[in-house]
Amino acid sequence: MKAIRHVVCIVAGLFFFATPVLANEIIIALGSEPTTLDPQIREDGGERAVNDNVYETLMARLPDGRLSAGLAASEPKLIDAKTWEVKLRAGIQFHNGEPFNADAVVHSVKRLIDPSFKSEQISFFSTIKDAKKVDDLTVQIITDGPDPILPGRLYWMKMVPPGHSKDPKFAETPVGTGPYKFVKWNRGQNVILETHPGYWGAKPAIQKVTYRFVSDSGTRLAGLMAGEFDLITNLLPEFTKKVPQAIHMLGLEHPIIILNADGGPTKDVRVRQALNLAVDKKALAEGLFEGYAQIAQGQLLSPSFFGFSKSVGPYPYDPEKAKALLKEAGATGATIEVIGTAGRWLKDREMVEAVAGYWEAVGLKPRVRIFEFNEYLNRLFDRKTRGDAIFVVSSNELMDADKSFSAYYKAGGTGSSNSDKELAGMIDAARSETDVAKRAGLYDQAVKRAHEQAYFVWLLNIEDIYGVSKRLAWPGRVDAKMLVSEMKVK
Amino acid sequence: MGRYFLKRLLQGGGVIIGVTVLVFVVTRLVGDPVKVMLPLEATAEQRAEFEKQLGLDRPIHVQFVDFMGGLTRLDFGDSLWQRRPAMRIVFEKLPLTLELAFMGIGLAFFLSIPLGIIAALRPGGASDRSTVFLSLIGLSVPQFWLGLLLIVVFAVQLGWLPTSGVDTPAHLIMPTITMALPALARLVMIVRSSMIDELNQQYVRTCFAKGISFYRVVGVHALRNAALPVVTLCGWELIRAVAGYSVVVETVFAWPGLGLTAIQAIEREDLILLQAIVFTVAVLVVLINILMDVAYKAIDPRLKLA
Repeated sequence: MKAIRHVVCIVAGLFFFATPVLANEIIIALGSEPTTLDPQIREDGGERAVNDNVYETLMARLPDGRLSAGLAASEPKLIDAKTWEVKLRAGIQFHNGEPFNADAVVHSVKRLIDPSFKSEQISFFSTIKDAKKVDDLTVQIITDGPDPILPGRLYWMKMVPPGHSKDPKFAETPVGTGPYKFVKWNRGQNVILETHPGYWGAKPAIQKVTYRFVSDSGTRLAGLMAGEFDLITNLLPEFTKKVPQAIHMLGLEHPIIILNADGGPTKDVRVRQALNLAVDKKALAEGLFEGYAQIAQGQLLSPSFFGFSKSVGPYPYDPEKAKALLKEAGATGATIEVIGTAGRWLKDREMVEAVAGYWEAVGLKPRVRIFEFNEYLNRLFDRKTRGDAIFVVSSNELMDADKSFSAYYKAGGTGSSNSDKELAGMIDAARSETDVAKRAGLYDQAVKRAHEQAYFVWLLNIEDIYGVSKRLAWPGRVDAKMLVSEMKVK
Repeated sequence: MGRYFLKRLLQGGGVIIGVTVLVFVVTRLVGDPVKVMLPLEATAEQRAEFEKQLGLDRPIHVQFVDFMGGLTRLDFGDSLWQRRPAMRIVFEKLPLTLELAFMGIGLAFFLSIPLGIIAALRPGGASDRSTVFLSLIGLSVPQFWLGLLLIVVFAVQLGWLPTSGVDTPAHLIMPTITMALPALARLVMIVRSSMIDELNQQYVRTCFAKGISFYRVVGVHALRNAALPVVTLCGWELIRAVAGYSVVVETVFAWPGLGLTAIQAIEREDLILLQAIVFTVAVLVVLINILMDVAYKAIDPRLKLA
């Protein structure tokens, strides 16, 4: 009896230290530590996860993905073809007391686009040429041509304080306008944030958040199960049943297979269509992702992205029709080289192998070649070595068709395997079309054309899965930002 | 003796420079950090521009001269991935890796001697067979699996220890055990076989015949003679711990040392940081080797170092 009491005491004592968090504090485990807390320099998920709570942008997004005004008082207005005017909210200060005004915006824009700053985010902002102050709360942003996506781009550009961002220590002591302010960064261990009492918006429910960095997914899961973490990222689909809560939502990632439309057996549109019809996407979603993926809608866009076309859907799973098409094209028994990589994206190798299996089942001879990531990239970026088919996962943070289409749909794009001038024309026209309805119309046409021509095998739209403790409530967001201000402790 | 160490140092310097140059050449031939750093959808022009900004478009011999110049000042430049001096990152992470390596290998060393001796006292006996059996298990268990198993049992099921991190001494327990186990298994086997050899020597029988106590014969006379291979293996285990095991153990336990950093630097093709890490590890390996020579001489003064 006494022994049992001892055990109970010890276990209780240990539980106390296993759940060190107070009611309004949470601990989030990320897969990687931020390399810097300067919000403008890196393309780094760990950095974003922290800084999305410290910094804000002129434009924000609602949880369902719609653009809304952030630090801007209203949506930016186009005053001539190359100039967007943004009105700012009044009375906002950075955490260190610096005012947020037109000067801060101009500084933030110029800092990021300065080539000597070497920002990895530059590809998001390559159209921006300059920023000008009109008055204290009005800024003009000048682009090199008509840029209808600018409001979307502004959602990606964090505003930094003009004074403090010149401090060499800025990358270790972030100061933004957001609901949380930076407290401490113990390198290798954690980053701690606390609510900023003077925040201009609604007061968040959670007072303090600690970020821990655990690269191994099994260890992250163990930490969640042991009650050390409240939220973990990139939970593997097979672990979803083991955690207290698994929150999942359609993410920004689309695995596709790019088909060579200019040579080899895939030159024939019937073969490309057959390759689409041959694959059971539903089985992929269920078999590989335990249902935590949706079938891609025959386009490289999620329903929440601008440019998504409702008039196009997935190719059905129809192996008989695929066989017939292949026979018609005289391609039965043709060898198709398909290139992939392993370990970079969730289930990358498995997807390529499963697809090859389906192709084999309709009478083709797929030759799967899995390369180490760097060699794979060499092939992805060089059309000559790309093979008949190459697997890639496209990610689109701006949630606008332009980025994915310019890279993969448009002839000459970094990952494009077609030379369709008509399609390229539509994408180019959409890129500088400032009339929203016309622009949507152009993408609608482009989506239909690429779908008819089957330039890709559209596979899935992967869901982001988060493991969540029992006590944390979080509705989640389609843009994958982990905004602590939207979380609550039950 | 002094000349001997001078020679060893010079040789070591050669090794270090050789390894560093090799890494320079290999990483530049195989990798292209710009591809990994920018989003996949970035255009070819954006990539070329970024490469230029990082100075990676310069001819390889120009980069090499620059690199060797920096090496003389122990300045490898800024890490591409973290944008701060690579050596600063290394010095930040190194103590954590050394802590883990010394704890792990130290534990293995101190446990292996009594276990090996007990096994050697009666070769083929029950304690010997069970020691050999357990050692084989220790050798066969993959470290990442062992680490996860410990986490599942002691952190998740029992809740006794934290799963990962570095905050308290409790955080050190499971990584240390994971680090120690394979080394312990090998060391036990070596202690056992050298002790069996020694205990069969004539002088041991003589000692016993003279009435010297059992503990003195086994623990001092025989053990000292059996120590050389054990010290060799220990040094080797320490090197493996720093340059190899640390990668696995640190990843599993989210221990932010040099091993975890090395993996991350490789994933992100951070040539600069990788060079700094390889250089540092090479220096450590050379130093450990020299220390082992000193230990040999201390254990067996008859040895001539030449």
